[in-house]
Amino acid sequence: MLKIIGGFFAGILATALLAWNMAGGMMFQERVSPFGMEETVARIQHNIQATGNGWALSGLRNPGKAVEADGGNTLPVMMIEACSTKYSGPILKEDTVRFLSILMPCKISVYKKNDGKVYIGNMNAGLMGPMFGPLVGGIMQQVAADQAKFLEFDPTKPAPPLILPKPAGEGGGAAGGGGGGC
Amino acid sequence: MRTLITTIGLLLAASGVIASSDPAPAAAAPAKAVSKSTADHSKFKELQKDFKDGPEVTEACLSCHTEAAKQVHQTQHWKWEFLNPKTDQKLGKKHVINNFCTAIPSNQEFCTACHVGYGWKDDKFDFTSERNVDCLVCHDSTGTYKKPAGLAGHAVYKDMEFPPKSGKIMKAVDLKKVAQGVAKSSRDNCGACHFYGGGGDAVKHGDLDSSLKQPKKYLDVHMDKDGLNFTCGTCHATSGHAVPGSRYNPTAKDTDKHIRGKADGNPATCQSCHKDAPHQKGAEAARLNHHAEKIACQTCHIPEFARGGRATKMLWDWSTAGKLDQDGKPIVVKDSAGHEAYNSKKGDFKYETNVIPEYVWFNGQVDYTLRETKMDVSKVVKINSFGGAPDDGKSKIWPIKRFAGKQPYDVGNNQLVVFHTYGADDAAFWSNFNWDKALAFGMKEIGAEYSGKYAFVATEMSWPITHMVAPKGDALACAQCHQPSAGVGRLDQVPGIYMPGRGGNPLLDLAGWTLAALTLLGVLVHGGIRILASRKHQA
Repeated sequence: MLKIIGGFFAGILATALLAWNMAGGMMFQERVSPFGMEETVARIQHNIQATGNGWALSGLRNPGKAVEADGGNTLPVMMIEACSTKYSGPILKEDTVRFLSILMPCKISVYKKNDGKVYIGNMNAGLMGPMFGPLVGGIMQQVAADQAKFLEFDPTKPAPPLILPKPAGEGGGAAGGGGGGC
Repeated sequence: MRTLITTIGLLLAASGVIASSDPAPAAAAPAKAVSKSTADHSKFKELQKDFKDGPEVTEACLSCHTEAAKQVHQTQHWKWEFLNPKTDQKLGKKHVINNFCTAIPSNQEFCTACHVGYGWKDDKFDFTSERNVDCLVCHDSTGTYKKPAGLAGHAVYKDMEFPPKSGKIMKAVDLKKVAQGVAKSSRDNCGACHFYGGGGDAVKHGDLDSSLKQPKKYLDVHMDKDGLNFTCGTCHATSGHAVPGSRYNPTAKDTDKHIRGKADGNPATCQSCHKDAPHQKGAEAARLNHHAEKIACQTCHIPEFARGGRATKMLWDWSTAGKLDQDGKPIVVKDSAGHEAYNSKKGDFKYETNVIPEYVWFNGQVDYTLRETKMDVSKVVKINSFGGAPDDGKSKIWPIKRFAGKQPYDVGNNQLVVFHTYGADDAAFWSNFNWDKALAFGMKEIGAEYSGKYAFVATEMSWPITHMVAPKGDALACAQCHQPSAGVGRLDQVPGIYMPGRGGNPLLDLAGWTLAALTLLGVLVHGGIRILASRKHQA
């Protein structure tokens, strides 16, 4: 009997350790882009605009600018911010989940690593959403579906131009307010 | 101590307040900044006239600086020619064919905008003329002296439409004002050509671009405008107009042991100031100095190039040049960042910022594929090859920019070709987009044999990376070579080195771990037996 109980708790412990170890990797996704920095960003931006469902670009941040201003270097990082009031509205109206506003606007990060490749990082909305109940879960499933469209590239199409945000102060990783969506 | 200084400061400030409360007889005029120069050129009578052109200014300069032109005549900046003593190759812009704009001959009028002279428009240029030397291009401090491409090194002396047929008027330069404002060469002077090599800002070198005019600390610790504020001449310490630090004969491993001002070696090397054991502080200093015996300072301290926000060109494919639109007009296509991705005049391009260098063994010897060289076109032709090996005692691991190209060659002779790009004539490629005419003209111009048949060959050119030195906190960390989180180590492709933490043999690793596991098992079993035997014995 002791062996069974011991085995049961050992199983729980092993599962918890495994979940702890894998959770970080599951909450966020990372993939290699077939394009350079600017082209990756531009293609995602244009995909966002073409997706519909109220999606609009709300900013393009360069967190590396703040590091440069402080005298340091980082490999390039650009954060595309997008928002859809269709999805953000219901969450912002519900007191129990309004704290999720910290995840808004939706962000996709494009960055270079030391292997010289350009990567795309994003939140796994489909996995995280259901943790916050049926309302958020349902919305996040739709966000995840749209997010997948943001990252579908058609290499036969020519590189579109970057959509630069309206100036809102240089440095400090200041957001360029696109003003759309949220 | 700090408290004491603060207290004294406060007392002095207070006394100042008290003093200023007294009625002052008159406000003291602010002291006029005293120039560090011993000469105010605006007071020179030779420079009080309205000059009609650049050579006339030079004559005025030479009336005092009698030896200056003779000195300039001896330099690479003037001759655009260099005989490499190690290889006996005749190099310099005058002779080399690169994979950017390719070659000077037949295009002098355009290219010599960056020559320190006036009037080099063809091979009849008088290299012995002192008045042909352009003093202003290196000594203008007004920022108004420009030499547009296409004027054979002359500035604009009368208002003119530039570029031709653009409808834009370029104002004539005020030569009197420029001549009276001459000064020691600044970053702007050197940068006017060296930042724009290859046809645009940041295009050629990758570690030299206009972001270095007023650089911040993150970009270059030495040139930081708010810090050390080095000019180019601080490192390339010039004597008699000879600027040291040519890439045609670079110093890959400085063994002179000299420090600045005490030897006649290359003053532009890192070692000339920092010596060859530059790391003095910290527990890792000895280990880092050991690394410095085989690794160039630049390898760790310039982790990426083109970091100033200007993209450098990484590829130039001439083979696609010449496409025109439906109306027969040239096409320009831009990439996502707004750089030219295609231009009918030049072909396809690729640009990149924050480029991670490639790394090679380099002993300072550079061999060029010259026009006369017979090529193996089945392989990528190396326009220049860096010599070096791990065991020759002369090499260090250097960061380089590897620039890829595709350019025309003579199929009949397997040689690189010179072609005519710029000019008002019918043969210039940028006017008529006809390769046959442009190639025939260029090859005739240099008097070289040409089979009349051309194709395009893949080429590459290497550029040593040595500028844009990052703050020490941004130097490569151990992990970037030894345990790279991205999976690719910076020096993975460098041959002949054993990299601890990398490059292990999986079978050997498995054997080692198996042995270790068996040893542990043996110890446990042996210990267990001993314990059991002991208990039995006690029982």
